[in-house]
Amino acid sequence: MMNRITNLPTLKIDPSKAVSLKYHDIPYQGCAGDTVATALYAGGVRIFGRSLKYHRPRGLYSLDGECSNTCMEIDAIPNERSENLPARDGMVVREQNVKGSAEHDKLSFIDKLDWAMPAGFYYHTMHKPAALWPLAMKQIRKAAGLGRLSPDFRQTGRFDEIFPSTEVCVIGGGPSGMQAALSAAEQGLRVILLEARPWLGGFYDYRTVQDDHAVPLYERGRKLAEKVSAHPGIRVLTHTSLVGTYNNGLVTAFRRGSSEDSFAERYIEIRAKSVVVATGCIERPLLFENNERPGVMQAGCAHRLLNTFGILPGKTAVFAVGHDLGLEAALDLHDQGVNIACIADLRTEGQNPDLLKALESRDITYQPGQTALEAHGKKLLTGVVLGSMDGSSQKTLPCDLLVASAGLTPVSGPLTINKGSVAYDAHTGSFLPDKLPENTRVAGRILGLGDPEAIEASGHLAGLQAAQDCGLDSAADLQKAEQALAELPGPEKGTDFVIGPVSGRKSFICFDEDTTIKNIKQAINKGFDVPELIKRFTSAGTGPGQGGIPDHNLPLFTALYQGSAQESVRPTNRRPPLTPIFLSTYAGRNHDMAKRTPMHDRQKQDGGIFRRLGVWRRARYFSEDLSCRQEVENVRSNVGIFDGSTLGKFRIHGPDCLKALDRVFVSDMHKVKQGRIKYTAMCNEDGCVIDDGVITKMGENDYFFTTSTGRAGATVEWIRYHTRYEGRDFHMVNLTDAFGVINLSGPNARKVIEKVVDQDISNEALPFSGVKGFSIGQNVEVFVMRLGFVGELSYEIHVPSSYMESVWDLLLEAGQEFGIMNFGVEAQNVLRMEKGHIILGQESEQRTNLLDVHLGFLWHRDKPEAKTVGSLALKQAEQDPDRLKLVGLKMQEAKVPGDGCVIVDESRIRGYVCTIRKSFSVDGIVGLALVEGPLAKPGSVVSIYEDECKGNLLKADVVPLPFYDPEGARMKA
Amino acid sequence: MALTLTCPICGERNGYEFKYGGEDKGPRPEESGLSPEAWCDYVHMNNCVAGVQKEWWYHRDGCGVWFTTERDTTSNLEIHNAEVS
Ligand SMILES: [Zn+2]
Repeated sequence: MMNRITNLPTLKIDPSKAVSLKYHDIPYQGCAGDTVATALYAGGVRIFGRSLKYHRPRGLYSLDGECSNTCMEIDAIPNERSENLPARDGMVVREQNVKGSAEHDKLSFIDKLDWAMPAGFYYHTMHKPAALWPLAMKQIRKAAGLGRLSPDFRQTGRFDEIFPSTEVCVIGGGPSGMQAALSAAEQGLRVILLEARPWLGGFYDYRTVQDDHAVPLYERGRKLAEKVSAHPGIRVLTHTSLVGTYNNGLVTAFRRGSSEDSFAERYIEIRAKSVVVATGCIERPLLFENNERPGVMQAGCAHRLLNTFGILPGKTAVFAVGHDLGLEAALDLHDQGVNIACIADLRTEGQNPDLLKALESRDITYQPGQTALEAHGKKLLTGVVLGSMDGSSQKTLPCDLLVASAGLTPVSGPLTINKGSVAYDAHTGSFLPDKLPENTRVAGRILGLGDPEAIEASGHLAGLQAAQDCGLDSAADLQKAEQALAELPGPEKGTDFVIGPVSGRKSFICFDEDTTIKNIKQAINKGFDVPELIKRFTSAGTGPGQGGIPDHNLPLFTALYQGSAQESVRPTNRRPPLTPIFLSTYAGRNHDMAKRTPMHDRQKQDGGIFRRLGVWRRARYFSEDLSCRQEVENVRSNVGIFDGSTLGKFRIHGPDCLKALDRVFVSDMHKVKQGRIKYTAMCNEDGCVIDDGVITKMGENDYFFTTSTGRAGATVEWIRYHTRYEGRDFHMVNLTDAFGVINLSGPNARKVIEKVVDQDISNEALPFSGVKGFSIGQNVEVFVMRLGFVGELSYEIHVPSSYMESVWDLLLEAGQEFGIMNFGVEAQNVLRMEKGHIILGQESEQRTNLLDVHLGFLWHRDKPEAKTVGSLALKQAEQDPDRLKLVGLKMQEAKVPGDGCVIVDESRIRGYVCTIRKSFSVDGIVGLALVEGPLAKPGSVVSIYEDECKGNLLKADVVPLPFYDPEGARMKA
Repeated sequence: MALTLTCPICGERNGYEFKYGGEDKGPRPEESGLSPEAWCDYVHMNNCVAGVQKEWWYHRDGCGVWFTTERDTTSNLEIHNAEVS
């Protein structure tokens, strides 16, 4: 790789492995280990996109994704953080928010119109006159927002989720986090360590300065990382970004998959007994005019470009810094051939003397008490104005790189989103952790520490504190660790300098939202006097970077401008997700898991067309004729076979089982007999009918009942809920999946069964509503009920699931000569509708009670001691004349309205159609509807409104039910 | 979710596994002589305590038991050995 320095011991790239991406249709060669941004930077890209409001050119600034500067569209996904995303072969990259290109943006003139857009511009200008708003909105919509997502875009890749639990969760894989993980793990605790970068090491991994034992820090970090990775008690999750921390030890995060991983992105929800926050620091941006001109970057960014990625960030550099880390970066850059024109340091004291000596030995100009006031350059940086902090002794230096940083900002988001707090600390000039969330510990630079030994000692201590949270008695170790930390250097002296004497018109406090110092002043002048209000009025900190750039500068400047104490202000609150996460990741894997009946494959072979119905996939049709004429007619004239396995099936037994049944079923359960089935229903507390089914007695205190398909999942819960206070002694077994159900219906049904059983099943031996157990095919024990849901002679055969196919085959074979044929869910729907039998959920909704659907005859009102659920409500509803009633409809014309169409009169809705079909068994189009009481009498005419009927309401007569075989002679035959 | 609950059979488990069953209002009242208003109060009205309340939970994705526990509604956390207000 020609444009890389390849001999650095700190490199994280593999220069021998090329990675090729496309930007502007031009291939860019990076190498393995690159992020998208570093690959492009190495290829000469300096402008990565344009800013939201003013279309200012933006470039590499922090390299950790704290701002939207380098958000790009990558493989059609907008707002990817190119600084964090590892480069992969074949990626297609585009810049965002440009008309033209990032280099030549036709909207860059807007930058000159900033005077016309003061803070709160939209609030002021766009609300009057109201008629103008839709027009204005259209234009604003065009200009607003970063990135575009094509409506045709479909996200591919696997998105999964894990829910690990652990004793200690350490957030941050730097030196203190690693030490915390080790000390907790050495106590025998399980530890999960989260690190946002693809490797452990934190701010050690790119630093070449040596510790007291002459070991360079990157080496020290590497050794620690090896120790951590080798420890069996520590699970390391690198390239994992934090989403949030919550009470009760909950930590959520996500991990971007590499090409070796089985997932594109993985959601991680960790439950820990103790959480150690060791998130370290980001840099506090230095504010001056044009402080975000491409070519201006933070010290860590320049330092890592060189030491981690082998890229020289510029040729001639000026430094305007306020921390020793900036001096370290200058030395390394100088040693690799960057011309350091000058280092301006905000500090006049507190510098590391070794570093100053090193600068001196290299003849690097060092100016304490100086800072940057203005950057020059139209698109790219060409020079910088340095001066003292009061604005005096200014001079201009040409340069193509300005390393600018005011100091450090502890990353306290993981604390403050979980009700922790921070407070201003005058010594460090920043906001340090104050009140910690429960069972949360902090370690490392977040405490203001800078000395490596102290940082690691604080990690060791935090690990022991976490062990204590987990109930381990480590008092002696704790005391030792506390003492060790106390003997080491404490927090470093820092500066709270924000900005020199400049107008602030082009000094950007928030890059994402193009908020300037001038905007902040405007907001304060209007009375928005605290950061939370200023944030909302100016949008500062509301962009994708979640306030990473304005974090401490906003409260510090607010205090400075108002002349108030820094103790009186706070950084604004963070909210999860702390790092942007895909919605696909939240959605996880495809959770649309459906159940299959034992006959699924067979029905598929037979040409079944399947539909999702509740939790099941069921064969709805057996031909392309969706009216199911053949299936329906065959049941009416020969015999049909139907897979009813989805029916809920339950056994309830025990001394108190009758009491439980009487509580939830509306009928008198004492009347349920052996050998007979009883049709009954369940209501909710409001008397609204929630389930119907049949029940039979199997023996003393032993009953079997069925529920509707949709209700099976909630039945056990429901019955236990409504008996929860009494301590009833009964048990329930859900047999829904243990048994399949074959429904054999039609005038020939008996003839079919007779051929496969050795018992008498004549109408006398097994009459309508009878139940019988017998064996089929010599030895399969089945349980048969005679029912009449579809209005024909009908047998419901309950078969152990594993025998379903065998019994099905026997019946098919026996039925050949009688014209046996499959029928599906839709044919059953038509058949039962013709018979006037309801399906709950179709002929009922939330408010439909037992009486509305003419099932009042099931209700035994005289069992107050049972306290039947819904009984009291039904007694009140009986008096109510205004309820909807179930009726039969017959269309006057040859048009079939859709299910769910409303029934209307001139002024309002009077009911709705539940199910309506062309009937082949009775002449005409018939259906069931719920209508208001006065319309429910046979002989009324109702008007049905259908979409696009254009005012031509469809007319239907209210007719008596059922449509088919009113005497029930066929089903009782 | 941050909530965990202690099932009397399975122990402390993730809140996702449970279904809420409402405030603990005591057994169903006797039906004879019960006014519609009193009945409606029992079925539909809640105290909505801001603080610790006793309530029912169902271990739906677990053993299937209904049990009561105390939860602080302001922190959405289960409270052990709480004094119910
Ligand atoms: Zn349980």
